[in-house]
Amino acid sequence: MEPRFAGMTFFATSHAGDVCGTNGLPLTPNSITIYGRSQILRTFSHPNLCTYLDIIRGKHERTMIVSEFHAQTLALLQEPLPLLGIVKLCHQTLTALSYINSHDIVHRCLAPDNIMINAKGNVKLFNYGLYYMTGKGSDVSFPIGNPRYMAPEVFLVDSQIASGPKVDVWSLGIILTEQALGVEQLWPELKLAQLMRKVLSLINCNSDTSVFSRIAREHSCWSKYESLPQSLVHLINSCLQLNPLDRPTPKELLEFPIFKEYSFDEYSLAERPDTLVETTHHLNSLPLQELYYLWRLAGGDVQSELKKQGLIRTMPPILSVPRLVLLEGSVLGKRRDQTSLLDLKIIPLSLESLRNRLAPVPVSAYYPLITTKSDVLNDAEECDAADLPLIIRERDTEYQFRRVVLFRRLLEGYPHTKSAIVREARKDIPPLYRGRVWAALLEVEGDIEAHYRETDKETPTHTDRQIEVDIPRCHQYDELLSSRDGHRKFKRVLKAWVERNPQYVYWQGLDSLCAPFIYLNFNNEAMAFACLSAFIPKYLHRFFLKDNSAVIREYLAKFTHVIAFHDPDLSNHLQEIGFIPELFAIPWFLTMFSHVFPLPKILHLWDQLLLGDASFPLYVGLAILQQHRDTLLSSGFNECILLFSDLPEVDIERCLSDSVAFYCCTPRSTTFRQHERCPSKAGLKNKPCHPDLEMSAQTVAELQAESCPRISGADLLDLLDSSKFPRPKVMVIDIRSPELYNVGSAPGSINIPHSRFDLTQEIPQLPSCPEVNILLQNRGKILVVAGQGDSPCAIQIAQIFLRNGLPKVCVLHRGIDVLQLANLLTKPTAI
Amino acid sequence: MTPTSEKSVERKFIFEFSNVTSDDKYHFEIPVHIPFVGNIQELAQRLITLFKVPVYIEKDLEADLKSFVDQETLHFLDNIALDSIKRGQNGEVDVEDIIKKFERLYKDETAEYAAPRGSTDEELFATVYHKLVHSPALEAMLQVEHSYSIHVNEMTTHRDDELDALTERQGKEMSHLVSGIGEFSTEAEVNSLAARHCEDQNMIQAKINSQIDSLQETQRREYREWLMKLLEEQAEEASSVTPPTPSPTHIVRLITNEASSKEKKKGSNELETEVPSNPSMEESFTIHLGSQMKQMHNIRIMSADVLHLCKTHLSSKGGKHMQPQRLQTALALYSNDLCGLVLLTDGLISSFSGTTKEFINVCQQSTEFHFPPIDDQLEKIREGVKETASWRQEHWSAENLLISGQQWRRASCSGALRTGDVYVTRHSNLNEVHVVFHMVIDDSLRSSDINSRHPAILGLRNVLKMACSNDVTTLTVPLLLAHHMTEEMTVAWCAKRAELVLKCVKGFMIEMASWGGSELKNLQFVVPEGISDEVFVSLAAMLPSVFRVSNPLVFKASSTPITPKSN
Repeated sequence: MEPRFAGMTFFATSHAGDVCGTNGLPLTPNSITIYGRSQILRTFSHPNLCTYLDIIRGKHERTMIVSEFHAQTLALLQEPLPLLGIVKLCHQTLTALSYINSHDIVHRCLAPDNIMINAKGNVKLFNYGLYYMTGKGSDVSFPIGNPRYMAPEVFLVDSQIASGPKVDVWSLGIILTEQALGVEQLWPELKLAQLMRKVLSLINCNSDTSVFSRIAREHSCWSKYESLPQSLVHLINSCLQLNPLDRPTPKELLEFPIFKEYSFDEYSLAERPDTLVETTHHLNSLPLQELYYLWRLAGGDVQSELKKQGLIRTMPPILSVPRLVLLEGSVLGKRRDQTSLLDLKIIPLSLESLRNRLAPVPVSAYYPLITTKSDVLNDAEECDAADLPLIIRERDTEYQFRRVVLFRRLLEGYPHTKSAIVREARKDIPPLYRGRVWAALLEVEGDIEAHYRETDKETPTHTDRQIEVDIPRCHQYDELLSSRDGHRKFKRVLKAWVERNPQYVYWQGLDSLCAPFIYLNFNNEAMAFACLSAFIPKYLHRFFLKDNSAVIREYLAKFTHVIAFHDPDLSNHLQEIGFIPELFAIPWFLTMFSHVFPLPKILHLWDQLLLGDASFPLYVGLAILQQHRDTLLSSGFNECILLFSDLPEVDIERCLSDSVAFYCCTPRSTTFRQHERCPSKAGLKNKPCHPDLEMSAQTVAELQAESCPRISGADLLDLLDSSKFPRPKVMVIDIRSPELYNVGSAPGSINIPHSRFDLTQEIPQLPSCPEVNILLQNRGKILVVAGQGDSPCAIQIAQIFLRNGLPKVCVLHRGIDVLQLANLLTKPTAI
Repeated sequence: MTPTSEKSVERKFIFEFSNVTSDDKYHFEIPVHIPFVGNIQELAQRLITLFKVPVYIEKDLEADLKSFVDQETLHFLDNIALDSIKRGQNGEVDVEDIIKKFERLYKDETAEYAAPRGSTDEELFATVYHKLVHSPALEAMLQVEHSYSIHVNEMTTHRDDELDALTERQGKEMSHLVSGIGEFSTEAEVNSLAARHCEDQNMIQAKINSQIDSLQETQRREYREWLMKLLEEQAEEASSVTPPTPSPTHIVRLITNEASSKEKKKGSNELETEVPSNPSMEESFTIHLGSQMKQMHNIRIMSADVLHLCKTHLSSKGGKHMQPQRLQTALALYSNDLCGLVLLTDGLISSFSGTTKEFINVCQQSTEFHFPPIDDQLEKIREGVKETASWRQEHWSAENLLISGQQWRRASCSGALRTGDVYVTRHSNLNEVHVVFHMVIDDSLRSSDINSRHPAILGLRNVLKMACSNDVTTLTVPLLLAHHMTEEMTVAWCAKRAELVLKCVKGFMIEMASWGGSELKNLQFVVPEGISDEVFVSLAAMLPSVFRVSNPLVFKASSTPITPKSN
């Protein structure tokens, strides 16, 4: 396979000494600014532009660019183009230029070696982002542009002022001149200074002699010049107008009659040499971004590749150590490392290793959605890596290949493929498409761009100050989020959210919440905003109220219940030392862990979180505690505070599998919260049941007073359904008096009347009786304490169970009476 | 007349629209900065909201606004360009200047136009050495280096012995003469004797020093030639290396024979006893820095003489055994993991006193095969300092820093360095150090109340920054900003100073993460040797409280729970 993309590299200037930004914080390194700024280039898609694939930041302000690549360039063509070729070259270059102009980008280094020609003989502009990504040259020390093709005003205008789109038109004019006159290169014998003198001398052309004719005469091509068709001469003359006001823009040039005069669509700029013709490999059917993604997984490393090809050479650092550093931070006697000069060599990156890696993959894998019922084609074969840990699956080339191909096709079908996306996301989400998959999981639909556009993000508000203070402290280890563009996007999305949610206020933590979405949708603010807007009601409903204490306290009370339900020992210990969730878990839940984990972990965590409902985060919290269970159990209050003051190391994958396990074995009603957003009507698939069987709101004080969660009658009925659970998962402990119990109780229940418990004891003991033994034998089942109505005894007895280390204890909401509604009370059989 | 100097202009955008039902014309106008930064569509939306205009004009407004901004931007840029071209035509600007400027730019910054430049000797030797040191030749090389340094060491020992003997003899002579003043000698005689003694001292010293110099010169040349030959041999056969016997033995023998065997024994004894002077107390930690993304660093605190890190310890018998650190230092010399040391010094590079003098002695214990000798390096720096004086003249902004005007003037007049300035020397022959950061300090550091804006602290920040941008990944810092214990260094003083330095260094390290250089992997804090055990223990205890000690996630592998250490 031919290389499809190539790498190049340059250095940004490093900030001298101690300079601070206007906010008093140290300046962002230029390479990060470049990194953030250049992201947008990756979204450009135009038939005549080489796609930007990646921007990589190396050590010491090095920046590496990966871009689509074609081996053939205009500079490498052996013969000058014929007239038709010139017109096609001009037209395609102009469409590409006017496309980048519409994004406020100027090429500035347009030259024959930056005009690539693809296999079909079409123009592919290369390196068009250099001027833009370097902040119009201000972030780098080298000059941008090839002096031979540079417009005279580029030399003359103060370098502080940006070049406009017309400088490219001049460059194109020079390129066309070379082609039209059949000269390989203008002024080939001139040295650098002479060359620039020559270009600058053109400004002294009289108004009656055009630049083009003067060049033609200088190169003694007058006869050739005379033979050119008038329309071409007119075109080139227009390009080479000295006065920028007279020089048309690329867009205007496209309207020139010459492009209607000739039909050049069929013409190919470069005859493809026969040797290059090979059967198209299936890999070539993948989008370039996927190809590059897989190439990297297959061991492709741009930096080492550039090193191997000699583009990145490094001098041993000890040879360039400076001699003197003054207090003010200025460095003297540092030797300029010759290897840091700009070298715009392009290094094609070979696809061979990727091809070899994916050679065993059958063709059918490229079309995963085609389901065959054929016996001959066995398509269901899974990749070996499917059972490996997530971290490994994310690095496995073949596995990712299958996932990426599958998800691309599913996403193309969104929203119709929503259920399939959810199903596949349960396995894992390929990092390449995570942003879009998340959006699908959050059910982001509709014209989000228009919605975002209409939202005012500019008008100053009183939250601006806080936002501006928070952003430079939010996940700043990440290059994207710490870049200037990252900060700008942060601010806009946050402001938009505040603007769109007048019922809420900006609470610190919203910035962290926003970070994963901005990170994943860096080039699509509207999408980041839409995802954030969908995420908050789903998981953090009412958390951002001006007075959110009731919501948060309810949440934490439920968290306490969840701990008690699954881990009584830990719960008892934490209760005893007074290490309550209010002391450590607020940032966990307010930011859905995005404040306490680094981004790579958040991404994996949220992959799972987005598949769960609003109660899932509670189990994540529990799983985190579980990982530090031993430490917590052996620590006192102070050690615990210290341990959790900065969240210690957590194994996310294990944490998630634990949370899912907890989630699956917990009745949903035990985590009922009144402040949770009511699920939409359509979501309820079960038949509505009697309101008494459902949970109802409790006050925070009530919740905090109870140690164990309550279970709803509906959930209990569900658990008692022997057709669903042949081996009962639940045991009801009826604490009413034996008389009432014998009249009728829940199936399989045992009766321990509350009178048998000594509630006055400080450390309550379980009474000794055969029922308690049965209870202890059934340890591990969900133990539902049921009393007469909402009797306080049930709550106390549940607490006694908890204190005695019994797991999965809960209290039946509204007592045993609710079961009557379902006519489920049976006469107990004798034990 | 034209806005060439201005980077942007303000233009008025006027929009007119009519009501659907009546013929009434409405219009509004807003100022727009050209070149426009932002999103035109969003601006249009805001205008609709701001002026409460009907939404049906949305499309028209957007289109109008867009063409207005495009036109104005183009116009703005064209006018600037036109203006500059006109000035070029009129000769208002010197075209030659511009050409020169661009020519310099292209030649200095781009590989295409830069003057072709081969590798320097230094780079070439670096490549050769790095290649060989990572080959089977390593052992032979180190042994050669080792035996070379033994020779130099013998010479310096000999020199010191000679001088000692001379001083003793002269002392006797002098006291004899002095005691006889008035009897058999005069003051004039004493004076002339003193002068003669001084001359003798200087002569002997100069004589032997020049011998040492020439020995080092020879060694250096021979060593480099040998390495080149070695590389050729390796390239030829790529097989086993036969270390050629280094030849300069005859020079050394000549001198060692002169020295009496008794003294030689004494000298070697001294060398032997020096070896076990390892840091008396030390403690290591692994720490995590950063709030979400944690970066791991190793931190060590030890009580030792800083020069201990520099001295190579020779055992003269057989010359076969070298310290393992030397191996490490040699392997890493041209790598991206350098070791650095902060050495405190005074502003006068020429003064040969205190730690700097001792340091220079240590450097001269053996031959520097890679970099210029320490004297030459310091000479270069002295030249550089002259530049700084003029640089400082131009940059008065330094006044903002907390430096008294008096000191400022003194420093800028004498051209000396100021507190917080750092000069850097490079070494290949030291024990555990490649780069030495000499930081200038003054007496103000003796005070107990210095704050984080003290020049020495800022100097530390510069050192860390330099370390970061020059791949120094192991750095040793004097924790108390002092190399020796003095009277005023009470327990409280030490605790206060250590806390300041630790906290500041921590801050700098967090800051470093964003500088985009290399990570500081190992950070060592050294405290003076004579520190009491209690103080050391309290300082060591301070480390985990200032830095966050990593809290490993421990999974139970067996039934016995393993709890992470929590100190």
